[in-house]
Amino acid sequence: MFTTGSKLFLGASALSLVSALLYAGTTDGALSMPGVVGLLTTTLVFGFLGGINWYTRDGNVSGAQEGVEFTSPAAQSPVSRSMWPLVAAVGVGGLVVGAVSQPVVFKVAVVVVLAAVVEWMVLGWSERASSDSGYNSGVRRRILFPLEFPILAAVGLSVIVYSFSRVMLRLDKDSGKAAFGAIAAMVLFAGFVFAGKKNVAKRTITGVCSIAAVALFGVGVASAVQGQRTIEAHPTTASDAAVCLEGGTAGEVDDNASQSVSAKSSVIANIYLQSNNVVVAYVNGTPGKAFSSLDVPRSAWVRVLFHNEGDQSHRLTARLGTFGTNAEVIQCTTAVHTGHEAFLDFKVAKTNLASSTPIVLMVPGLDGQEIQVNVP
Amino acid sequence: MPNERPCRGSLVRVEVVAPPSGESGIGWRAAASLDSVFVKPSRRRRVAAAAALGLLLAGCAKNAPQDTFDPAGSNARSIDNLQRPVFYVAGVVGIIVFAVVGYAMWKFKDRGQDIPEQSHGNPKLEIALTILPAIILAAICVPTVSQVFSLDKKDNNCVINVTGQQWWWEYDYAKGSECGGVVIPESIVTSGELVIPANTDVLLRITSRDVIHSFWIPRLNGKRDAVPGRLHTLRMQADKPGIYTGQCTEFCGLSHSRMRQAAVALNTADFQTWVTNQTEAYASPEAGSAAAVGQSTFIAQCSRCHQVNGLQDGDGKPVLAEPDLYVLSGAAPNLTNLLTRTAIAGWTFDLLTTTCRETLWNAPPDEFGALYLKGITAECFNEANLREWIRNAPAMKPMYTDPKNLGSTGGKTRGMPALGLTEAQIDQIIAYLLERK
Repeated sequence: MFTTGSKLFLGASALSLVSALLYAGTTDGALSMPGVVGLLTTTLVFGFLGGINWYTRDGNVSGAQEGVEFTSPAAQSPVSRSMWPLVAAVGVGGLVVGAVSQPVVFKVAVVVVLAAVVEWMVLGWSERASSDSGYNSGVRRRILFPLEFPILAAVGLSVIVYSFSRVMLRLDKDSGKAAFGAIAAMVLFAGFVFAGKKNVAKRTITGVCSIAAVALFGVGVASAVQGQRTIEAHPTTASDAAVCLEGGTAGEVDDNASQSVSAKSSVIANIYLQSNNVVVAYVNGTPGKAFSSLDVPRSAWVRVLFHNEGDQSHRLTARLGTFGTNAEVIQCTTAVHTGHEAFLDFKVAKTNLASSTPIVLMVPGLDGQEIQVNVP
Repeated sequence: MPNERPCRGSLVRVEVVAPPSGESGIGWRAAASLDSVFVKPSRRRRVAAAAALGLLLAGCAKNAPQDTFDPAGSNARSIDNLQRPVFYVAGVVGIIVFAVVGYAMWKFKDRGQDIPEQSHGNPKLEIALTILPAIILAAICVPTVSQVFSLDKKDNNCVINVTGQQWWWEYDYAKGSECGGVVIPESIVTSGELVIPANTDVLLRITSRDVIHSFWIPRLNGKRDAVPGRLHTLRMQADKPGIYTGQCTEFCGLSHSRMRQAAVALNTADFQTWVTNQTEAYASPEAGSAAAVGQSTFIAQCSRCHQVNGLQDGDGKPVLAEPDLYVLSGAAPNLTNLLTRTAIAGWTFDLLTTTCRETLWNAPPDEFGALYLKGITAECFNEANLREWIRNAPAMKPMYTDPKNLGSTGGKTRGMPALGLTEAQIDQIIAYLLERK
């Protein structure tokens, strides 16, 4: 009675209706309205399409044609067993497991279920597209290959990249060099071996690549489970007055914090703590001339680069004024080793005249060594 | 061929080229019967011709103050010396390419002839057509790279901070800088007009307070982006005293087209006078005068955003602007010497009358400084612009100031809002500002 096409649409309509009822029953009133309306609309649309298909008998054959129930494409039996019901079942199982465990499992299961449903649906349709099984197989390929190939390629690349990244995050700097040096050598060696052979069986290449992919994935998963190595984080600046107004300690130093070429090209001044413990500013635009004051625009971020040429670790502290009843604004770099440098970004929103304390750049522990900051 | 049905192409050709006398009757009758086909290409051609002519004539404009082909400083001249030969070479190459393409289109037009024999590959020609452009590009590359490094020199004694924000430029002259032999004794903050000593290299340190802008005075140098959190430098020099205009060239929001700027070059003596004037102590208006009343109105209505250096309240305390509390960029123009500038509101609206403006702009270099330093005199004052700006600034220049739309900025505006002042208050403020020079 019901044709193949009408069964699909009527089934989808029933599924939408059940989903609408479930959604309405499990979601808070006002919040659920758009979803319920959407699902009910889907129910109506699928029901309408199902009705049309049923009435026109999928537009395939005339009901008056004799023997059509045996010869029409829709009457053909499936040519092969389908794995998609099994995949869909695994996906549904994943949904249940994901719902009570990890959200990521649930999301992956949703993708699996959707993929299985689409594949199953197109396979079921294509096997009855005509009475020629060869043509039916070609139709399936024509529809699904443009989807399958890019998606599978993206998934494959993602797995490779993700596995590599987990391994790199797990290994420390020296082990990473050794491991990836060895892997590169192995790839090179395999290349030489294959290139030296006249004929290499496709099966051999496939096998080697498969083993490599599985090994990479396995090591990636193992690395991900173990977690990334401990990476020490050193804040480059601080705004804690108690820290900024004291001398630095070696433990805070991050020697690599100021190696950005981009940042170095954009400083308003280089502040030097000279070897004689005198602080001077070399202002961008007037090289070779040491200043004891610095003009900065109001309400704009500016950056200075602090060079420590003293005989011990020091920090640069910016005392950025006391406005009204607020506490004094203070920022500083981390402690900087002798011969190293660090950036300090700051912004002063008001003029010097509005501050009850001087606006200066200074090095804690060195009395009188200050750069006046003028904010017009 | 009187019996052939004329095609669309032949009809158009008949219109342009006078038909041979023996066939004219047939040709014109056919054209008339397909009037729509006949007229449309002709109209399109007329429009295209008019557009091309307009473009051509635009190049002849005498009043083109932002002409990159008319450099007025050493840096702009360096760029011009580079771009002209490149332009000429590119022009010749362009003409050759267009001529060859045009010839090929005409010569090999489909006239129903057989498709000619197809050929593939011509190694000699392909190698030649690869090497020739490579040589041209190499010849352009060498002086270009050299010029880029030459323009990037930063050594200077005269440093000016240039800060962009929606939609105006602020200039502050670093205290202690030496510009053309003139030492800047105190920080100077001004806006719109960048005053520099003529024939002197000036280094601009350019940044932005809000979004990306781009500073460009075409006759003095190339453009430089103003990026929040970054500091870019640009060297500038003007050969002679005069006024050189520019425009923000990075789209920066609603009133980007109204974010203009100018560089004013003065000879050393005049620049010294300007610096002295800008750093003079604040002079209070005469007690009881309209300006004195205006000062009180200014303090009440304007001073929370606009700074006037030296201004004190009734208790003798300095009046300090806090634009960071009311304006998104955290800044508003310093009005200490407003009437020494010739335009307001992102250098968009003149403070000079049209006649005085023309006189100043066209003044010979040796007279320019004296005229400029007069500032806005009573007879040259374009009061209408200032009055309208104070009355309702957003009506003159859109600036996102409607309180209903300030939710995303925490109530801060991007420019001057309409303050709802009475005409009497506007009179008072104008009287006060007229003394700010």
